[in-house]
Amino acid sequence: MINAKRRKLALFYCRNVPESREKDRQLLEEACGETISFFPMPCSGRVEPVHLLRALEEFADAAYVIACPTGACRNFEGNLRARKRIERTRSIIEAIGLERERVGLVVCSKDNPKPLAVLAREIMDKVSSLGPSPALGPKALNEEEKGI
Amino acid sequence: MITGEQKPVEEIRQMIAPYKRILVLGCGSCVAECASGGEKETAMLASALRMAARMNDEDVTIEEMTLDRQCVMEFVIQLDKVIDPYDAVLSLGCGAGVQAVADMYPEVRVIPGLNTEFLGETKAQGVWAETCLGCGDCMLYDFGGICPLARCSKQILNGPCGGSVDGRCEVNPDIPCAWQLIIDRLDRFGALDRLEDIYPPKDWSTKQGAGPRKIIREDQQK
Repeated sequence: MINAKRRKLALFYCRNVPESREKDRQLLEEACGETISFFPMPCSGRVEPVHLLRALEEFADAAYVIACPTGACRNFEGNLRARKRIERTRSIIEAIGLERERVGLVVCSKDNPKPLAVLAREIMDKVSSLGPSPALGPKALNEEEKGI
Repeated sequence: MITGEQKPVEEIRQMIAPYKRILVLGCGSCVAECASGGEKETAMLASALRMAARMNDEDVTIEEMTLDRQCVMEFVIQLDKVIDPYDAVLSLGCGAGVQAVADMYPEVRVIPGLNTEFLGETKAQGVWAETCLGCGDCMLYDFGGICPLARCSKQILNGPCGGSVDGRCEVNPDIPCAWQLIIDRLDRFGALDRLEDIYPPKDWSTKQGAGPRKIIREDQQK
């Protein structure tokens, strides 16, 4: 279903996102293989810059957060906090020379909420153009060059 | 609380460049409260530095640890068990913490990762403000609990200067006029007559007039 190009994505998402129950996540993980690692969260406001940085350091070419629509957070301001933390993380990775687009926030539409699978595919398409992350070291870049 | 801000990553990378095994050392006290050197910030910085090193093909080991308090020997001594492999410690403690670690481990290079800023208080989430200069001769009683030295841009003891507008400082309208606050507070307590006194210039000998200060309490010693 999702194009398993060699990029690896760490995807943190609020459990309020449509079709993001545990069963949905398991099916998606089966379909995606190692391409996307899903991290369900009770609220996107729980995400911290260190979660995203560790994902980029350990395995991911990009780390994204999916939040519920502005004004619809059941904890009132979780999605607003997530936005600030994304910006903070972006400033950190920019300071070390990594593209800021490797970290991002996708906010669900209030009027036309998309299921987790659709959002994941859209994010994957977006980050695929970035190329392998140099933060994962020369091994990742070499694999890309050799087409592994 | 002592406040600090993390130095730019580029400056930190230049300072740690000569070293191969680096311990990023956080402090769980003041700098954790002001979100610059606690466990979270230490993990973030260490992670960013490891990625930067990998991107630049640098052969370094960067690990992290956070002490509950970096400026007290009883806590710093916990490094005894782990410090041997490292040739540098990147401290996210305040200036006192950096020096406490350096004093205890003179053979290890201790590098400051923060710029220590001021003694202050948490005004709101994510907002810290300077409220004390540590002058060694507290005058807060005379001024209704508002320090004119720390909080008045002109540091005047016989105010107000007359320049404030709508209770805001004329030097920096982002801050309230300290003298407006002083007068409001003294008025509330019916103590405005205290301002009839003329205060002589501050005696700064109690701050650093005789060099670095030290407090010795025999009753607290062994």
